[in-house]
Amino acid sequence: MPKKIDPITVEIIQSSLQAACDEMFIAMRKTAMSSIIYEVLDFGTAVTDSNGNIAASGAGIPAFIAMCDKAVQAVLNKFDDKEIKPGDIFATNDPYNGGVTHLNDVIVVMPVFSGKKRIAWTANIAHWPDLGGMAPGGISADATEIFQEGLQLPVIKMFNQGKPIQSVIDIIISNSRVPQYTKGDMWAAIASIRVGEKRIRDIAEKYGRETFEKSVELFMEYGEKSSLDALRKLKNGTYYGEDILDNGEKIQVKVTITNKEFIVDLRNNPKQDSGPNNASYDGTVVSAQMAFKGVTSSDFICNAGTFRPLKVICDEGSMFNPTRPAAQGIYYETDIRSYDLIWKTISHLNPDKSTAGSFASICGTFMGGTHPDTNEPFIIIEPQIGGWGASAAGDGMSANFSAFHGDTFNTPAEIHEARHGLYVDQMRLNNQEGGEGKYNGGKGIIMDYRVRSKNAWVSVAYTRSKTLPWSLKNGREGSANYIEVIRKNKKIEKYSVVTGLGLEPGDIVRIYTGNGGGFGDPKKRSKELIKNDLLNEYITKAQAKKYFGFKK
Amino acid sequence: MIRVATDVGGTFTDLVYFEIDKKTKKAKKISNAKSDTTPPNYEKGVFKAIKKSGINIAEAIFFAHGTTVIINSITERKGSVTALITTKGFRDSLEIARGDRPDFFNLRYKKPEPFVPRYLRAEVPGRIDFLGKEIEKLDSKNLNTIIKTFKKHKVKSIAVCLLHAYANPKHEQLIAKAINKKWPEFEVVTSNELTREWREYERTNTTALCAYVKPIAKNYLDRLYTELKKFKFRGNPYVMQSNGGIDTFDSTKKTPLTIIESGPTSGVLGAAEIGKLIGVKDIIALDIGGTTAKCSLIENGNVKINTNYWIEKNRTSAGYPVMLPVVDIVEIGNGGGSIAWVDDYKKLHVGPQSAGASPGPVSYGKQGKNITTTDANLYTRRINPSYFCGGEINADIKSVDKYLTALSKKLKLSKMETARGIIRIANNNMTNALKLISVNKGHDPRDFTLVAFGGGGGMHATSLAMELNIPKVIIPINSSVFSAWGMLMSDLRRDFILTKLNKMNLESLKSINETFSNIESKAIANFKKEKLQKNKIQFQRFASLRYLGQDHSVEVPLPNGKYGKNELNKILSTFHNQYEKEFTYKLDNPVELIQFHLVAIAKIEKPKLEKRLKTGRKTKDAIKSRRKVDFDQFGDRISDIYDFDLLEPKMTFSGPAIVEDASTTVVIFPGQKCTVDDYANLHINTKKKK
Repeated sequence: MPKKIDPITVEIIQSSLQAACDEMFIAMRKTAMSSIIYEVLDFGTAVTDSNGNIAASGAGIPAFIAMCDKAVQAVLNKFDDKEIKPGDIFATNDPYNGGVTHLNDVIVVMPVFSGKKRIAWTANIAHWPDLGGMAPGGISADATEIFQEGLQLPVIKMFNQGKPIQSVIDIIISNSRVPQYTKGDMWAAIASIRVGEKRIRDIAEKYGRETFEKSVELFMEYGEKSSLDALRKLKNGTYYGEDILDNGEKIQVKVTITNKEFIVDLRNNPKQDSGPNNASYDGTVVSAQMAFKGVTSSDFICNAGTFRPLKVICDEGSMFNPTRPAAQGIYYETDIRSYDLIWKTISHLNPDKSTAGSFASICGTFMGGTHPDTNEPFIIIEPQIGGWGASAAGDGMSANFSAFHGDTFNTPAEIHEARHGLYVDQMRLNNQEGGEGKYNGGKGIIMDYRVRSKNAWVSVAYTRSKTLPWSLKNGREGSANYIEVIRKNKKIEKYSVVTGLGLEPGDIVRIYTGNGGGFGDPKKRSKELIKNDLLNEYITKAQAKKYFGFKK
Repeated sequence: MIRVATDVGGTFTDLVYFEIDKKTKKAKKISNAKSDTTPPNYEKGVFKAIKKSGINIAEAIFFAHGTTVIINSITERKGSVTALITTKGFRDSLEIARGDRPDFFNLRYKKPEPFVPRYLRAEVPGRIDFLGKEIEKLDSKNLNTIIKTFKKHKVKSIAVCLLHAYANPKHEQLIAKAINKKWPEFEVVTSNELTREWREYERTNTTALCAYVKPIAKNYLDRLYTELKKFKFRGNPYVMQSNGGIDTFDSTKKTPLTIIESGPTSGVLGAAEIGKLIGVKDIIALDIGGTTAKCSLIENGNVKINTNYWIEKNRTSAGYPVMLPVVDIVEIGNGGGSIAWVDDYKKLHVGPQSAGASPGPVSYGKQGKNITTTDANLYTRRINPSYFCGGEINADIKSVDKYLTALSKKLKLSKMETARGIIRIANNNMTNALKLISVNKGHDPRDFTLVAFGGGGGMHATSLAMELNIPKVIIPINSSVFSAWGMLMSDLRRDFILTKLNKMNLESLKSINETFSNIESKAIANFKKEKLQKNKIQFQRFASLRYLGQDHSVEVPLPNGKYGKNELNKILSTFHNQYEKEFTYKLDNPVELIQFHLVAIAKIEKPKLEKRLKTGRKTKDAIKSRRKVDFDQFGDRISDIYDFDLLEPKMTFSGPAIVEDASTTVVIFPGQKCTVDDYANLHINTKKKK
């Protein structure tokens, strides 16, 4: 260890770690083949220390910030130090073994060496659009075993000392329905971790290995300290909360806060689902991490130290910690349910951050078919934007991605129409009722996809379609997430979960995402705000009268 | 005869001019003048600077103007009441934006407010598809009602942006025509006049912003023109554009959003021009000002342009897109006025907050209490305490000492260690920005020359170059008014960009050839209005290519003329190579052309620059004094202080040294060698001595 570490150098190394993650992120975004990666930014990058503790991360999605460390740890469990060499690349997508989420999210990791010593890892997690499985895109609400959800990569080596292990890559590519996309996304992921590896190596060479390692260690101490400081500002105690799933089952949580710990107890929850509505223990931990971060400090420091005070307890065999071979394709709806439950239970502890409930579903929408102009197959995999909860500070935000997503971008109608060969007839704010209050919940959206191709299909698995976003202080609940399929003959079908529903040219898939919950009695909404709502046609005169008691 | 450029900045309005020798046609002398910027009547500052310079504007044959008037009216939200007409079903596009939220853990995130409120966003039925085919006729029956509402709300300016207008602008043009005919009192901007790129939110926001600033911009340019005429200016005045060229007042008034980044752009252009003058083609341009540092990469003499430009975008806000060709600049909140601060965990940070013009750095003695980068440069005596701001200000050393002491106590470091730390952290921030434009895009900094300018360019460039292994730094003469100088060197430039998908194969060649030839005809017709001859216009073609299925593309330069099989293969191999350079791999997948880009340049005759006169002065006679300067890892060194104004071609000297004039300080580290070129630019060799 160097005798005295100069604080300025430490600071420079720490900010360079972040810069390296950002560079990895940019490289992936620019080169990925799939719109779910480059447009929706359904991916993340990270640097860990040599033992797989997260040091810094770059992500489009907060949910992806603290994911890659688990994959590195899985590699370290499986491989000897002697088997891990410079230029090696490992991969996992197994949620039971470092993969965290579902089989579509592939994590690739690469060790960084300074001289002969391993000093760090760079990692990348991204949603690859298809790795086989019973349904195109891998995710099916009908899956009952993980085997139906695609190819499993159980912590494997893909590159040996810089050289691709071709047979492994061939297996991966040939298991994809869209091999060109998969190949492109794979290379993009590799380019990304290589950029990071080079950068970290440069930093360590420049400042010396020991200084580098010490700076990483201090960075984690800093993360921990910042979390503990924020934790001390929350009132100690045990807090209980519950929610009802759309299938009628109850979920519950007990959160215990002390000055040193934040314990999320998710025991006594429903048994694991016979379908794909399960989330791995690692995934549940990530949900708790996000809620923890949301209520403590919303700065951007997120490393292993940040989450040291956090503990998560789940029963084995439950929906939050299933056992193999339970399917996990729709893990994200399960994760957001546990996240939302924790948020609902603790958000009031920090009056500066507390909010009413949001539409709180990924609203994952999958469509496919043949592009009528190019005759090539297309797949749409996209989350939807919706309304956020109101708070004491004002109206909720309209049309944003869920708390799971962050710097994620929706797909422009013009690109949808060109790339997917359908028409987007409208994309507007949801004018349905729900979320009225002294401050209104933000509005969801209504979006129409008019089908042009003959063999098209749609799958969705939305939650919060029955139990609505909660309100606060006598505001009104938000509204539901669902889709309507309006057939050419005008018959309307309504779904929140459906798999592979056939569509004909002229059929319209109309997506509704919910309005967030309201805050405070609507009768107490100021006249100015109501007038402004009327002027902007956010509400009708009848609604103004009915909910807000507004006359004239 | 003189040629004049004026650049209205946040604090100062700069003026640079050449006098041209009528016989030799050479530029005799470059001079400059500075005046305060005078909002909201910016033209006053321009004329103050003209007066101060003593030039007679009637003698000017060329007048170029850069201004912050557009960006200011946007950031201060002082534009006109603006309405939007868009396609049925998409009224909320501006408000929905892209649904992104960079502020990850903030569940009370607020989206940036649209520049057009919902009640002023109207819809009309009618549809064009992505191939440009009309699939539903435009129905403008309700236009009367729409305009009535707009009038009721005192709308001045109308943006028209319809779905797929990039592919076929017919419907937009019909609406604009109808409004211009029946309601000429409105300013109208259609999206197709600004851009022919897809992505409706970005295009709509760009159109709305343009409409928002159009009345103000028109008014301002008209006022400036009237004043110029009053002083008997007879030439054609130009405005600096964000794309690295200049354009006429008339053309700018139609779509004034194109001048949104006119100042920073001209600096980058100046760097490219310096390069041409002295034969350097690969350049990293770095402009360090009071609150920000901006950098841009110039490859093979070409300034890079992109259309993915955002304003007010940062880690906590999604910002607003501007889909226009803007010189590719990375900007960070680090300049001379950036504040050094210590957080709750005893970590030192520099910026992005700035002390601004008031109170400014502590050393300005205007009650500033926050130590800035400038103060740290002063404390290390890199800046001359007895010649502060050219001797206009007495540096307040006592206060610097006091507040630096406070800062260093928090860090448990000495004052000098703290000052060095501030400079090192500021440098590190800038290094990261420089990496973004170079290493991160596959460029090796060792192949580049760093051209640094702006108030702080010379102060930091040499250490940044050492950090990035850039072998050579050039500090241009007049580096503090370099942006205005860049304008004097620009040509008339217009960019024509069109999204149109074509597979890169033999079958598509016909369509690709036709499209380029159509765009070229359009460009020629466009310049006709400015009475420019066809043979004076030069074309440069580019195309954005990608592997089929990707979204982000790589822009590659293309040859002119008609393409056959050979050209196709050449273009493809350029693409594969460029792609691999930037992203470390390439694929054998099919390639798609997504966007055509034609740059049309009308060359403006420019005088040759005169070299600096040699009097035979000896190098040592350019030394004005000696002082101790702290060079961080090299420690305290007695350094020669050179007077920039006394330097002459071919002089050479080595660091430790400082070169000063009234507005510039150049730090030359021990072991670095400085040579003065024919035009009195400094060339500093930064290679470490082994």
